[in-house]
Amino acid sequence: MPKAVKLALLLAPAFGLVVVMMSLVIWRAVAQSFGLYNFNGEDLLSLRHWAEMFATRRYWNALEWSAYVATTSALITLAIAYPLALWLRKPFAGSYLLSALLKAPYFVPGLVAVFLLLNVIAFHGIVNQALMWLGLTDRPIRLQNDRNGYGLIALQVWKQLPLAFLLLQGAVQAIPDPVLNAARDLGAGPVARFRKVVLPLTARAMQAASILIFINVAGDFTFQATVGPTRENSLATLMVQYQGTNYGDWNAAAVVGVTLMGLSLVGAVVFTALVQGLTRAMERA
Amino acid sequence: MPGIDIEGVAMRFGQVDALKDVSLRVPEGAFVTLLGPSGCGKTTLLNIIAGFLAPTRGRVLFDGQDVTGLRPEARDTAMCFQSYALFPHLSVQENIAFGPRQKRLERAETARRVTGLMEQLGLAPHAAKLPNALSGGQQQRVALARALAVAPGVVLFDEPLSNLDAKLRDQVRTEIRDLQRRVGFTAVYVTHDQAEALAMSDTVFLLNGGVIEQSGGPRDIYFRPRTRFAADFIGAANLHDGPISGGAMDTPFGPVPVDAPDAAHRTLCWRPEVVRLTEAGALSGKVAHVAFQGGWLDLFVTAGGQTLRLQVSGTHDIPEGATIRFDIPREAVVVLKDGANA
Ligand SMILES: Nc1ncnc2c1ncn2[C@@H]1O[C@H](COP(=O)(O)OP(=O)(O)OP(=O)(O)O)[C@@H](O)[C@H]1O
Ligand SMILES: [Mg+2]
Repeated sequence: MPKAVKLALLLAPAFGLVVVMMSLVIWRAVAQSFGLYNFNGEDLLSLRHWAEMFATRRYWNALEWSAYVATTSALITLAIAYPLALWLRKPFAGSYLLSALLKAPYFVPGLVAVFLLLNVIAFHGIVNQALMWLGLTDRPIRLQNDRNGYGLIALQVWKQLPLAFLLLQGAVQAIPDPVLNAARDLGAGPVARFRKVVLPLTARAMQAASILIFINVAGDFTFQATVGPTRENSLATLMVQYQGTNYGDWNAAAVVGVTLMGLSLVGAVVFTALVQGLTRAMERA
Repeated sequence: MPGIDIEGVAMRFGQVDALKDVSLRVPEGAFVTLLGPSGCGKTTLLNIIAGFLAPTRGRVLFDGQDVTGLRPEARDTAMCFQSYALFPHLSVQENIAFGPRQKRLERAETARRVTGLMEQLGLAPHAAKLPNALSGGQQQRVALARALAVAPGVVLFDEPLSNLDAKLRDQVRTEIRDLQRRVGFTAVYVTHDQAEALAMSDTVFLLNGGVIEQSGGPRDIYFRPRTRFAADFIGAANLHDGPISGGAMDTPFGPVPVDAPDAAHRTLCWRPEVVRLTEAGALSGKVAHVAFQGGWLDLFVTAGGQTLRLQVSGTHDIPEGATIRFDIPREAVVVLKDGANA
């Protein structure tokens, strides 16, 4: 099979769904971004809306911010979920409970999670109370809507962890014990076993997890609007601003929306290549 | 090429005693088989020798060195797994090369071994295939080649031929023994095929329910079984229960001679093929059923409601319903340990 076809097939599950389920919406959004379906005037096929957007600082900031938060969240989530999945491969006392707890955030709706988080990190929340009680600080620290988006990223990771964990745990547990034993038997220590057996056999799951997380986070509205830095916009919050009462500019919103889809696509390609490259490099090293 | 000592090894899984106090010794360079029914603990014992399992009790020694706590990757063993355990993401060739590469062998030497083994085991046409594109028998041969490629001091075979057809099995069996003699490794070979065990081994260890029931050379194990289980599990056996007096046991077929003192309750055992058909025979019975097997004839002979199985040359032509006379050589009859009074 040619490389390109293989890559396309690998990617198909990730955005095949997006393409099929949303092809109508996508068409509409794309068309609108080029001036069709215009609610504020004549339909006119033009590059005007894109050109205006490209000249807007807020647009580039939002794109950069969304890409940054999505990439960081995906990487951190994987970095946490992968070792956990490996550690919990073999059952031990309490491992089932731990697995269940790790999946819990999946059942907590985003806004509820925000509410819970605010209780913890708010100006008079648990963390600040504790810090002050311990004497580590004499004034509450700003944790909510912090400038660097640490709270936002932490919340994203917390929310996306179950997805990554489920996918990776499935892949890790699908490796039969005798296969790992065979590697040990042939002289492979823990590191070699990981590089040459575990990693290649879980690469697909890692690809899937990283792509899904990236896309989930890139399209986030709720978390950005509630705990994100106030001076930043995600593409989704920016889109709503254009579309909302302040502007009512549907064509501009469409441009942002199409950009978001493009970002998802780029993220999928980049993460696929990244995981493949990593796997190959590790196998060869 | 180490010799192996197993000292009082026991293995317990939860409530299951997979092995109970097993001790055995495998001399350096020997070929021994572990023979026994399904679930008797054969794979468990191999896993303990390889180091995948730590025994609940007891020690494993290689050349007198205690290796019980040594990691599998540091032991000079290679296992040919019952479930093959091939690396699903690697081609046949890469699977076989895994061990040599791990041991940092020279490229040329690795290639030489891999090609040689693929040639020998008929895998050359499949070199680039992934395991899931192979038949069961082919996968089994890859597992075999992968274990042999590291040229280890000890090779642990877990029913390595169970999925091959009869002809290929014979061929690979001979190749394994040849290779073992030529390359030189200590072999522990697990099978539940008694013919395979007898044909290949220097020593057979007969396992039953987590203990060694009997051990010895193939002839010894076959002709001098010590227990009912040993008699039954390896080949066919004729058994008689009763008192011994004057060097014989009275049976419905006549007196069965035995070299043993008088006793009230004993069980005698002899193999079907030790029988001699002769007009002057002291024993007799009616032929109830004849099964022609090519090289030999199986005769099922009855008397007084009991049935014996006799095996004679296939050149005999004996009709069903005939009455035959036969002798059993005294030295071919053994008294079982767990006989009638056990
Ligand atoms: N990991 C385990 N957990 C619990 N019980 C086990 C485990 N491994 C083996 N056993 C039990 O130990 C006993 C011996 O198993 P083992 O696999 O050694 O048998 P075997 O002689 O290799 O049988 P077979 O010829 O069918 O391969 C069996 O009763 C089995 O159920
Ligand atoms: Mg077994």
